[in-house]
Amino acid sequence: MERLTSVRAFHDWQSRLAQALDPNRKMVTICGGTGCTAFGSPSVQEAFSAELKRRGLADKVPVKRTGCHGFCEKGPVVVILSSKLFYPSVQVEDVPEIVERSVLKDEIVERLLYVDPATKRKIAHDHEVPFYAKQQRQVFRLNGLLDPVSLEDYLAHGGYAGAVKALSEKKPEQVIDEVRESGLRGRGGAGFPTGVKWGLARKEPGAEKYVICNADEGDPGAFMDRSLLEGTPHAILEGMIIAGYAIGAPVGIIYVRAEYPLAVCNARIAVRQAQEAGLLGKNILGSGFDFDIFIREGAGAFVCGEESALIASLEGHRGMPRPRPPFPVQRGYRGKPTCINNVETLANLPLILLKGKDWYRSIGARTSTGTKIFALAGKVNNTGLVEVPMGATLRQIIFDIGGGIPKNRKFKAAQMGGPSGGCVPAQFLDLPLDYDSVKKIGAIMGSGGLVIMDENTCMVDIARFFLEFTQSESCGKCVPCRVGTRHMRDILRRICAGTGKESDIADLERLANEIKKSSLCGLGQTAPNPVLTTLRYFRDEYEEHIRQKRCRASVCEALVSSPCAHACPAGVNVPQYLALIAEGRVEDATNVIRRRNPFISVCGRVCDHPCESRCRRSDVDEPLAIRALKRYAADHAQRYDALLMPSAGGKAEVAIVGAGPAGLSCAYFLALMGRRSVIFEKEPIPGGMLALGIPEYRLPKTILQKDIDFILKHGAELRTGTLVRNVGELRRQGFKSVFLATGAQKGRELRVQGEDLAGVTDSMEFLRARALGKTLHCGKKVAVIGGGNAAVDAARSAIRLGAEKVMLLYRRTREEMPAYAEEVAEALKEGVEIHELAAPNRILGKSDRVVGIEMTRMRLGDADESGRRRPVPIAGSEFVIDCDMVLPAVGQSPSAEAAAEVALSEAKTVKADTVTLATSMEGIFAGGDVVNGGGTVIEAIAHGQQAAVAIDRHLGGAGMLPPDVSYSLRRPSEEEMEKVSPRVVEPMLPVAERLGGFREVVCGLTPAGACAEAGRCLRCDLERLQSQSGRFATKAKE
Amino acid sequence: MSGFTLSLDGREAQAREGQTILQVALAGGIRIPHLCYDQRLSPTGACRLCLVEIEGEAGFHASCTRMAGPGMVVRANTEAIRAARKSTIELLLSEHRVACTTCDKDGDCLLQEYAYEYQALETRFPSVATPAGRENYATGDKGIEYDPSKCVRCQRCVKICADVEMAEALTLRSRALEVQVTTGFDLPLKDSTCDLCGCCVSACPTSALYERAAKGLGQAKDLVKVRTTCTYCGVGCQMDLNVNRRLNRVVRVTSEPGCVPNDGNLCVKGRFGFQFIHSPERLTKPLIKETGTFREASWDEALALIGGRFREIRERHGPDAIAFLSSCRCTNEENYLVQKLARTAGQTNNVDQCATTCHAPTVAGLAASFGSGAMTNSIGEIQDIQTLFLIGANPTDAHPIIGLEMKKALRRGAKLVVCDPRKTWMAKRADIHIQHRPGTDNFLVNAMMNHLIEKGLHNEEFIRNRCENFEALKENVRHCAVEEASKVCGVDAGLIRRAAEMYAAGNPSAIFYTLGITEHTCGTENVQNLANLAMLCGQIGKPSSGVNPLRGQNNVQGGCDMGAIHSVFPGYQKVADPAMREKFAKAWGVSMPTNTGGRVTDFIEKAGEGVLKAFYVFGEDPVMSEPNQDKVIESLDKLEFLACQEIFMSETAKLADVILPASCFAEKDGTFSNTERRVQRVRKAVDAPGEAKPDWEILCLVSTAMGYPMKYNHPGEIFDEMAGLTPSYGGISYDRIDKVGLQWPCPTRDHPGTKYLHEGRFTRGRGLFHAIKFRPPAEMPDAEYPFLLSTGRTLYHYNVGNMTRKAEAIHQRQPSNFVEMNAADAVRLGVSDGDEVRVVTRRGAVAVAARVGEKVRPGGLWMPFHFVETATNRLTNDAFDNVTRTAEYKCCAARLEKRHEIVE
Repeated sequence: MERLTSVRAFHDWQSRLAQALDPNRKMVTICGGTGCTAFGSPSVQEAFSAELKRRGLADKVPVKRTGCHGFCEKGPVVVILSSKLFYPSVQVEDVPEIVERSVLKDEIVERLLYVDPATKRKIAHDHEVPFYAKQQRQVFRLNGLLDPVSLEDYLAHGGYAGAVKALSEKKPEQVIDEVRESGLRGRGGAGFPTGVKWGLARKEPGAEKYVICNADEGDPGAFMDRSLLEGTPHAILEGMIIAGYAIGAPVGIIYVRAEYPLAVCNARIAVRQAQEAGLLGKNILGSGFDFDIFIREGAGAFVCGEESALIASLEGHRGMPRPRPPFPVQRGYRGKPTCINNVETLANLPLILLKGKDWYRSIGARTSTGTKIFALAGKVNNTGLVEVPMGATLRQIIFDIGGGIPKNRKFKAAQMGGPSGGCVPAQFLDLPLDYDSVKKIGAIMGSGGLVIMDENTCMVDIARFFLEFTQSESCGKCVPCRVGTRHMRDILRRICAGTGKESDIADLERLANEIKKSSLCGLGQTAPNPVLTTLRYFRDEYEEHIRQKRCRASVCEALVSSPCAHACPAGVNVPQYLALIAEGRVEDATNVIRRRNPFISVCGRVCDHPCESRCRRSDVDEPLAIRALKRYAADHAQRYDALLMPSAGGKAEVAIVGAGPAGLSCAYFLALMGRRSVIFEKEPIPGGMLALGIPEYRLPKTILQKDIDFILKHGAELRTGTLVRNVGELRRQGFKSVFLATGAQKGRELRVQGEDLAGVTDSMEFLRARALGKTLHCGKKVAVIGGGNAAVDAARSAIRLGAEKVMLLYRRTREEMPAYAEEVAEALKEGVEIHELAAPNRILGKSDRVVGIEMTRMRLGDADESGRRRPVPIAGSEFVIDCDMVLPAVGQSPSAEAAAEVALSEAKTVKADTVTLATSMEGIFAGGDVVNGGGTVIEAIAHGQQAAVAIDRHLGGAGMLPPDVSYSLRRPSEEEMEKVSPRVVEPMLPVAERLGGFREVVCGLTPAGACAEAGRCLRCDLERLQSQSGRFATKAKE
Repeated sequence: MSGFTLSLDGREAQAREGQTILQVALAGGIRIPHLCYDQRLSPTGACRLCLVEIEGEAGFHASCTRMAGPGMVVRANTEAIRAARKSTIELLLSEHRVACTTCDKDGDCLLQEYAYEYQALETRFPSVATPAGRENYATGDKGIEYDPSKCVRCQRCVKICADVEMAEALTLRSRALEVQVTTGFDLPLKDSTCDLCGCCVSACPTSALYERAAKGLGQAKDLVKVRTTCTYCGVGCQMDLNVNRRLNRVVRVTSEPGCVPNDGNLCVKGRFGFQFIHSPERLTKPLIKETGTFREASWDEALALIGGRFREIRERHGPDAIAFLSSCRCTNEENYLVQKLARTAGQTNNVDQCATTCHAPTVAGLAASFGSGAMTNSIGEIQDIQTLFLIGANPTDAHPIIGLEMKKALRRGAKLVVCDPRKTWMAKRADIHIQHRPGTDNFLVNAMMNHLIEKGLHNEEFIRNRCENFEALKENVRHCAVEEASKVCGVDAGLIRRAAEMYAAGNPSAIFYTLGITEHTCGTENVQNLANLAMLCGQIGKPSSGVNPLRGQNNVQGGCDMGAIHSVFPGYQKVADPAMREKFAKAWGVSMPTNTGGRVTDFIEKAGEGVLKAFYVFGEDPVMSEPNQDKVIESLDKLEFLACQEIFMSETAKLADVILPASCFAEKDGTFSNTERRVQRVRKAVDAPGEAKPDWEILCLVSTAMGYPMKYNHPGEIFDEMAGLTPSYGGISYDRIDKVGLQWPCPTRDHPGTKYLHEGRFTRGRGLFHAIKFRPPAEMPDAEYPFLLSTGRTLYHYNVGNMTRKAEAIHQRQPSNFVEMNAADAVRLGVSDGDEVRVVTRRGAVAVAARVGEKVRPGGLWMPFHFVETATNRLTNDAFDNVTRTAEYKCCAARLEKRHEIVE
């Protein structure tokens, strides 16, 4: 290597190297980052070399090991140049074929191509892969291109030109101005303006100053610094030279964690090369500027990323933070002015110097310029390193680049900025991410770690998890962090273990704020962030854990026997009945279900099955078809009407208002506890929404009646056609307790002009009329407005009632529809048209009759509180749809008329305690839709159950639900457990046979199908039992 | 330093540049709680209790780390701040095993105090305290115990150990709640670099660190603190004896940060060496020897016997037949009384004290050069020295608190030159260590002066203006070339030159020396030569610059000042001067003796010759401390009458005819004069055991019994009498030194005392250069005795050991005698570390454990002399300095025998 002594020599050499680059040269590049190395890239590299040698191409086609490509999910990554063919997850066996076809002939090896998870499309070239295509790679641009240990490669691609420009053309003050005006802010997390920091460091007197590269990347989820140092170490050195020149420091130190052996190694090589080339050392390129760099390895304490602790560690002391001020720029390493910049910050500098502040400022947001690299991880399809302009949104990162959430689960939150960052909930999916906006919502840019969480993540558990980390990494110096985080952790552990106290949330909040305010360093000041943000956005989950001992994500082990059973609001012992079905014991299966849910036939058909969405089998392939199995049990039980307990006798003590699923369940569970009740129902038939809202093709009347009969036989009197005007009266009539379950029957108004025209019928009304057998005039062209189950039910009913054209008008897209996806799919099959992104403007009439709707075209805007994107009207996009019937289905209002003396919420629902369902009036309880404003069947059943327990206790009973029965069941063998068989699909009635009537569409499973399906259960409950008994056994030994 | 004001809780507070908000607040009487702040340490910012609000700045700020600024508006007691503090205290209580009921610190614990003030709830958080009694680094240590369940992790102990003591024994381990104080690699404390100074204990704001021996002997409310002066070396540390009056017992020793000269720091001896006070071996009754054994006697009987015998022998054989040995462990008042007793009742100038054993050459040498023989500068000036020149001094062991001041100077960037045959703590950290052959100091110093004069680096102006006899010196050192010195001293010539230059260049430089200089046959010449060096460079007579002998015994300065020397009355007023004799005769009412008198080494010799017949030994143990022990015993055996005034049955007392039970420093009042000439109070803390009496009382009774009645009601009366006769002490009185001692010369009541001597003018007028010729030690190694043996003091023990060896904690650290030898010699002789070897000289032999290492030069041996069972002074050479009769403890020829050779 030549030693450069002048700027001119540098430029000469650089242009020689650049000219020697042949863009058409054939080359195999293979990622040598830590991720790909772990996936086996070194042996793939060897295989390429061997294969090329075997074919005598060793000299012609080089194999280059590059830095990290960032797509760590798909390692080892191979790119063939110059064709840019992209092969992910390359194995040694694939090598000969790639060489044969892609290297020699520029052909594509189809089977090895990347498949886009969103579109299932095969993609051949790396720049077409959405993961890459939608990024804006500036800092990272050379990482996957260069040989990290080749100075020449870096120079050929323009390396060191920024530093040389600074040294040869600018005064240090000008360099500082350039950087300050570029708007670059520290990428270490806090976002302090880099140029300002430099200016302060430059102003300090004395010649002994230091530049420190902070490569102590402590966040376990972030690895961009590692990747940069591994892939383009020279760029970091270049950044340090610029920094050293700007502030007048002759010495730079890279503090890098020892757990990054490749980064340490490559950085060492780079320093040696730069020294040999004269880019480091005395009088660099004749500029008179001396600068050298040393590398120090850190032992891997999280706190050593904090600058004052880092300095302490460098000085050979225990890595503990020191109070600031004085700041390191005033008194840092060895008491001298020290400028500490993060790796990524330094990597930005060559670009700024080379391309100028204006270019740099053109990227990103106003107060946060440039790009930011995020380490995308967690529940996202494409994990890896992602570089986007500042101000990109989470949605762009997660969905456009990250390919969305696996299994199409719902996005719940993202943990931003590492363990001491904050949880960002779905409502901020469209928030432009920059330093200031992120701070406003309680998170930090921090390390740039971005952990994506889906609905199966428990936010309390997540907060606990991060607190466990920060607490164990607390250096122990200051009291609030050392002791305070420990108590926070203990409280969180307690809540997750189901032993939380009512006061815990307030205690946590208070403690968290105290720790933030009183702690010495950034670790303590930010450690409570995950707790504070989850409390801010997911407080109800904390409350559920504490009050209901429920973890809605089925994560917290102590609360959860199996995720499915825990997810069931009614608490049905799902794994047990699945196991019974697998053994063909259908009667026993119904016996198990009935201990918590009397509506087996109903739920086997219409339940929204939260159990299935938590099923752990979905991590393997698909979840169990639990609902179908339940229906199978109901349909095949011989003695379906056998009582679970003898019928309750005596005088009825409890009045139940409303014979919907909540009311009937309450009566059932009261009867099981020996209490008779009277059910008052204003409609002529019982069943509530089950009877009046759900069309028969989903839930046949006879089937519903079977379950209602079963319930009533246990000891309850049903009085239909009886309207209760005031529940208070019932108390005064002598009922010791009243359960109010009047539901939410009334459809909400559209609130548009023309709603009173003939032909406009609320969908609830429409469905009820059909259920009650009233004569019904159905239009020819029917427009259903809404996207929920009621809308789909109305649409599918209309089709069956002879409508020629049924349109489902929805203001968002099909993806956001709250209706069950399978119902929507069937509706489409049956001929229902779906018009997305359309909202009614007014209903058009002629002679008081509907003739059409004027709609406005919508587009999706920013996320709302649930994370769904808000529909935004497109001005001037109005259009008209012809129709003669309009069925609005935009939600229901609670029917709380009878609750005259009971406190209501703002939404006019009845206020009830979340656990006991007690209302503001003594002895009166309320549940179901009248409380939650419109929920699922199983939620209503669960409310009935909860109310029965509370009422029994109110009346002096123990409130005991029927105990679990224990069946001796065969343990499935390991082999059986590992056997992969696909989920069984319930057969459907052919479309042709459906229309023109209300025959049930879904046909049940066959015995063989049911057995096979039930056999797929992983028996998470046993695992748990085993671990409990295992624990017990070791205890006994002690 | 510029001053400014700021607003603190609405009040205007005065501040200086460089003060933190906390310091300003504390000085202004505003209460801000703080656990990790210690005025001796750099701020830590760990406890977060001192948080304040600063107007215009968001959040809370730690006032201990935040510098005060002009015009700042600080609020230290807002509701929010107090709430945050309360929470922090509550967090602390949750990790603290709150057990105030059985805690010694109850009533003196900062955490308890703050918890009370803020009404913090112990119940807010569940306890997460470390379980009590878990083993840790201090388990098994007899001195210090560490209870992590009471530790607040403030790091004061760690920092004081690292930053002040520079022992770096303590550190923290683990993270989060598992953080604990420990030693490197969790070694037991006694195997770590810990010196057991106990500063960690003093820094602990709670009871996490405590003195094991004090456990259960009294809580804060039971203890009275009695301020007194340490009895273990010449530094004169101010310490508080914590006394449980109910038990008549000193429970522990503490010291207040801010006190002079030790700023709250103590060494192992000061803090842990007090157990002897309550030792069951204390003498409690007068004893009279009859037919070879002692019997208990009444005071009257014993005093009558002493009075009778001394009178009788003097009358029979004249004033040279009797002699009095005073004690530098005892007070000024008592030393004054002894010499008064000798010269009045005894009518003899045969009075001496142990300075002869150690620093007499200092007194003689410096008096000859400068006119007065004392440390020229103050301890407080050390931190400002730029070049420390240590020769024959080992302050971190022998004067640990002066060692601390030197460490402070080093931390502030001072250069350090150490000339010592041993690789001491300071030598290891020196810029230049000259490890010269023992006894070659004069050649070394001459060569340095040769080099400086040759290079013209001497201070001609100073020499011209303030000194005389320079030409003689110049001529003399002309023959001492550096190259020659290099051969004689066994040191690289370059080092000698650099050392000389470094000393000459320091602004300022100061010389420190101790017995490595004085305990030679050329001791006085050595001292004079150091005076030469200082004058040559003009490094004397200004702040932080001079010639500083570090006095060994606690009151060796006072003992000399008080005239317990044959040739001088108190204040170095010469006996030979008739006017002085007249002055004292008038004051004391009897004529003054005119005999020449002698030194303690003379007394022993004369006793051996049968000339000295009766000997009164007060608080000294010459059998243990004088060279060639066998010969000492033989000589003392020839005495007709030996009386001892002692607190223990010492080796000398065993030979006595009568022993009077005396008091130790904790049992009487008086004053000590420390090495920097500071006169400080000694106060009674506990009653003496049995019938033991304060020494000044005993001396009065003895004098009366000998026929010269003395009567004082309190030592203060003695002091006033002395001060009236001693010009340099004339302005000092008990009331003036009640809080802080005064440095003599202090001639008048309004004189502030003298920080450093010879400013502008030497006491004798011009400083006198002495041309010193190099003389080798009296006994040099030869084929039969190939090693050169030096003796000295260790950190842990004090002189003859009869006090410090009674302390368990100290005993654990250093239970027995040893000999240091170089690894090269050990390999050659097949000796391993810890092996028992026999050290033999022409005078005797002792068997001790070998300590093999690099501390001494090849061919060198070094032994301490604290151990009665293996008395090192059986080996030492009774060859003496020709001026002061001080023995050459630092050099004698010796042989080393391995164990199997012993068996033969």
